[in-house]
Amino acid sequence: MTTTSPETGGHPGAPSPPGLAGGPGDMTAPGVRVRDLVVVYRTPLGELPALGGVSLTIEPGTITGIVGESGSGKSTLALSLLNAVQPPGRISAGSVEIDGLGNVLELGGDDLRQARGRHLGYVFQAAQNSLNPLKTVGKQLLDLGRSHGADDPRALVRDARSLLERMGLDGARVLDSHQHQLSGGMRQRVGIMLALVLNAQLVILDEPTTALDMITQATILRIVREVHKERGLTTLMVTHDIGVAAEVTDRLAVMYGGRVVEHGPTMDVIGAPSHPYTQGLIRAIPRLSGDTAEARALPGRPPTLGTLPAGGCVFRERCPLRMDVCETVEPPPVLVDRRTVACHAVAGARQERVVREERVVREQERVGREEERA
Amino acid sequence: MKPSTVRGRPRVNAVTRRLAGHLVRGLVMIWVVTTISFVIIRNIPGNPVLGQYETLIERGMSPDQAERATAALYGFLPTGSLWEQYTGYMKALLHLDLGQSLSTPGTEVVTLIGSAAKWTILPVLGGTLLSFVLGVTLGVYAGVKRSGKLGDLLSISGSLLHGVPQYVIGLLVLAIFTTLWPIFPAGGPVDVEFVPGFNAGYLASLIQHATLPVLTYALASYGGWVLAMKSSVATVLGDDFILAAELRGLSRGVLFRYIARNAILPLFTILALSLGMLFGGAIFIERIFNYPGLGLLLVNSIGARDYALMGGTFLVTTMAIIVVNIAADLLYAVIDPRVRTGGVA
Ligand SMILES: Nc1ncnc2c1ncn2[C@@H]1O[C@H](COP(=O)(O)OP(=O)(O)OP(=O)(O)O)[C@@H](O)[C@H]1O
Ligand code: SF4
Ligand SMILES: [Mg+2]
Repeated sequence: MTTTSPETGGHPGAPSPPGLAGGPGDMTAPGVRVRDLVVVYRTPLGELPALGGVSLTIEPGTITGIVGESGSGKSTLALSLLNAVQPPGRISAGSVEIDGLGNVLELGGDDLRQARGRHLGYVFQAAQNSLNPLKTVGKQLLDLGRSHGADDPRALVRDARSLLERMGLDGARVLDSHQHQLSGGMRQRVGIMLALVLNAQLVILDEPTTALDMITQATILRIVREVHKERGLTTLMVTHDIGVAAEVTDRLAVMYGGRVVEHGPTMDVIGAPSHPYTQGLIRAIPRLSGDTAEARALPGRPPTLGTLPAGGCVFRERCPLRMDVCETVEPPPVLVDRRTVACHAVAGARQERVVREERVVREQERVGREEERA
Repeated sequence: MKPSTVRGRPRVNAVTRRLAGHLVRGLVMIWVVTTISFVIIRNIPGNPVLGQYETLIERGMSPDQAERATAALYGFLPTGSLWEQYTGYMKALLHLDLGQSLSTPGTEVVTLIGSAAKWTILPVLGGTLLSFVLGVTLGVYAGVKRSGKLGDLLSISGSLLHGVPQYVIGLLVLAIFTTLWPIFPAGGPVDVEFVPGFNAGYLASLIQHATLPVLTYALASYGGWVLAMKSSVATVLGDDFILAAELRGLSRGVLFRYIARNAILPLFTILALSLGMLFGGAIFIERIFNYPGLGLLLVNSIGARDYALMGGTFLVTTMAIIVVNIAADLLYAVIDPRVRTGGVA
C-alpha cells in the first residue's frame, strides 16, 4: 500500500449489446468511475458548488451505499450518474465513466435518453409522485417499453407483474391502477419495478425507503438485495439511515459538504470509522455505537451551500482534530488500509506510520549490514 | 402493515352520481332564475302586464278575453293573487310557453329565441373551439420553450389580447376587415339574394358573414388560453413525475403527451367560464356585426320595451350557461381518472 492517489483502475466491463437486453445474464455489472466532479447551483449569491470535486470508484457488482446529512450532495451525485442534474444546477467539471456507456457527461440527445431507463435504472427520491396521474401503471409501463424499443409488450407485462408480486403486491391489479389508487409504499414499489423491468445493469436508488413503515421498508430492502444478487447488478443506494446502509450495502461512501470524505467496505467504515465526521456520525447512533449512554449527537449544524468554507477542509468547523493545515489546504483523498479517506489527521497518522515503518526497515538493514561486516 | 390492496377501485357510477348532483343543483338554479325573472317582470315600473290588460279593456274587450290575451303575451295572468300569478307563470314555463312578443305581434317568444339561438350558439362555440385549439397549442409551445423569441412573442401577444375588452376587439375587427381592408361583409347573417338551404352560394355567404363574429370571439378568448396553458405547462414541468419520466428515458413524443395532457386538464374547468363570458359578450358583438343572435334580440327587446321577450331571452341565456357548466364539468370528470374512478380530484 504505497499509493497516495486512490480511485484508480476499474473494470473494463462488457459493452452493452445492441438492441434491448434479452434477459439478465447477457450483460455484466458495470463499474463506475467518477472523477473530480463539480456541480454548481445558481443561487442569489452566485453559482455555489454542491459537489466540490468528487472522485468515487464503484466496483462492478457491489451494492454501494451513500450516506450523509441532508444537503451533503447525495442526490446531486446520484443524478450526475445519469447526467441529469436539474437547473438551476449544472455539472461544471469532471467525468463520469460507466462501463459500456463511456463518459455519460458527454452523452446527449437520444444516446443519453436511451441510456437512462435501459442501462441506468433510477428510483428517485420523490418516487411516490413518480407516475403520470392520468394513466394506469400498465400504460406507463408500455410507454416505457415502447420508448426503449421493447418489442414484446406481453413479456414486459409479465416481468413487471412478477417483480410486483415479489414485492408483495397484486401485480395485475396494480398495473390496472392509477397512481391515486395506490398507497405510498405501493407507488414506491412501482417506481422500483419500473427501474428494474428493462434489466438495467446499474441501478440507483435515492432514499427508496424514506417515509415508509418498517415492514414495507424491510420488504423493499430485501428485494433490492435479491434482485441485485440474481441479476449481478451494480447498485447504488442513497440513504441517510446508516442502519439501512449497514444492512444492505457492501461498500459505503460517506458524504459531507459536497465531498466523499470516506469510502470503503461497509463493515470497516462502520466498525472502525477513520474520518472524524464518520466517527461522529456513528457515535450519534446508539444502535451502532453499542452503548446508549455514549451515543451523542454531532455538534454543530451541517453546512449549506452558502456557509460552506471556500478553502481548507469543509468539516473543520465541527472537527475535534482540526489542525492549522485544515484552514488552508483541502485534504486530498488518500488510501488507508482498504478505504479512501480525505482528512489531514488521518493522512498524517498514516504518514507517521509509514515513516516509522521505513525507519524500522532502515534500522534492520543497517543491523543486517553490520552483522554481515562482523 | 396495511393490506396491500388497491384503494378506491373504479366505481362505474362515479360520473352518474356527479351528473345527478349537477342536475339537482341545475334545477334549483333554474328555479331561482325563473323566480327572479317573474319578480322582475311583475315589478317593472308601471306594471306592463296590468297596463296591457287595462288597455285591452279600454279598447272594448271583455275582461275575460283581455285576461286571456294578456296571459298569452306575458305568460302569466294580469290579475289574481301573487301566488296565482306565480303558479300560472311557472305552469306556462313548464309547457315552454314564454308568452308572446310585443314588438313582433303574434309571434311566440319561444319561436323568436329559437331562431336567434343558432346565430349565437354556433359562432360562440366555433370561436371558442378555434381559440381553444389555437391557444392551447401555442400555449404548450410557449410553456415548453420558456425562453426563446417565439415563446416570448406568444406570451406577450397573449397578455395583450387578454387585456383588451371584447367589444374593442369587435370594433377593431370591424374597422380593419370591412373598412380598412374590406374583404368581409359588415353585417347581417347572410346576403339576401341567396335562397336559404343547402346550396353553395348560401353556405358561402353564411360563412363569410360568420367569419368576423367568430374571429372576434376567438380573439377575445385566445389570449386567455395561451396564458392559462402556458402557466399550466410550467406547473406540470415542475412536477416530479416529469423528471421521473425523463430519468426513465421516455421518448420525447411520450413525454410531450404526458405534459400536454396533464396541462390541458385544468383548462376544462375554465372552459365553461369562458363560454359564459362569450355569451355575455354576444350582446356587444352581435350589435357590432348586426348579427341576429340572442344578444341582439335582448338589446332589441330592451329598446322596444318587449318585456316578455326580455325575460324569455334572459331566462334562456341563463339556462344555457348552466347547462354548459354542467357539460364542461362532466367532460372534465370523464377525462380525469381521479374523478372518474372516484379518487380525490
Ligand atoms: N434546485 C436547487 N437550487 C439550489 N440549491 C440546491 C438545489 N438542489 C439542491 N441544492 C443544494 O445542493 C446541496 C446538495 O443537495 P442534494 O439534494 O444533493 O442533497 P442530499 O444529500 O440529497 O440531501 P437530502 O438528504 O435532503 O436529500 C444542498 O445544499 C442543496 O441546498
Ligand atoms: S482535515 Fe482537518 S478539519 Fe478536516 S476532518 Fe481532518 S482533521 Fe478535521
Ligand atoms: Mg437527496
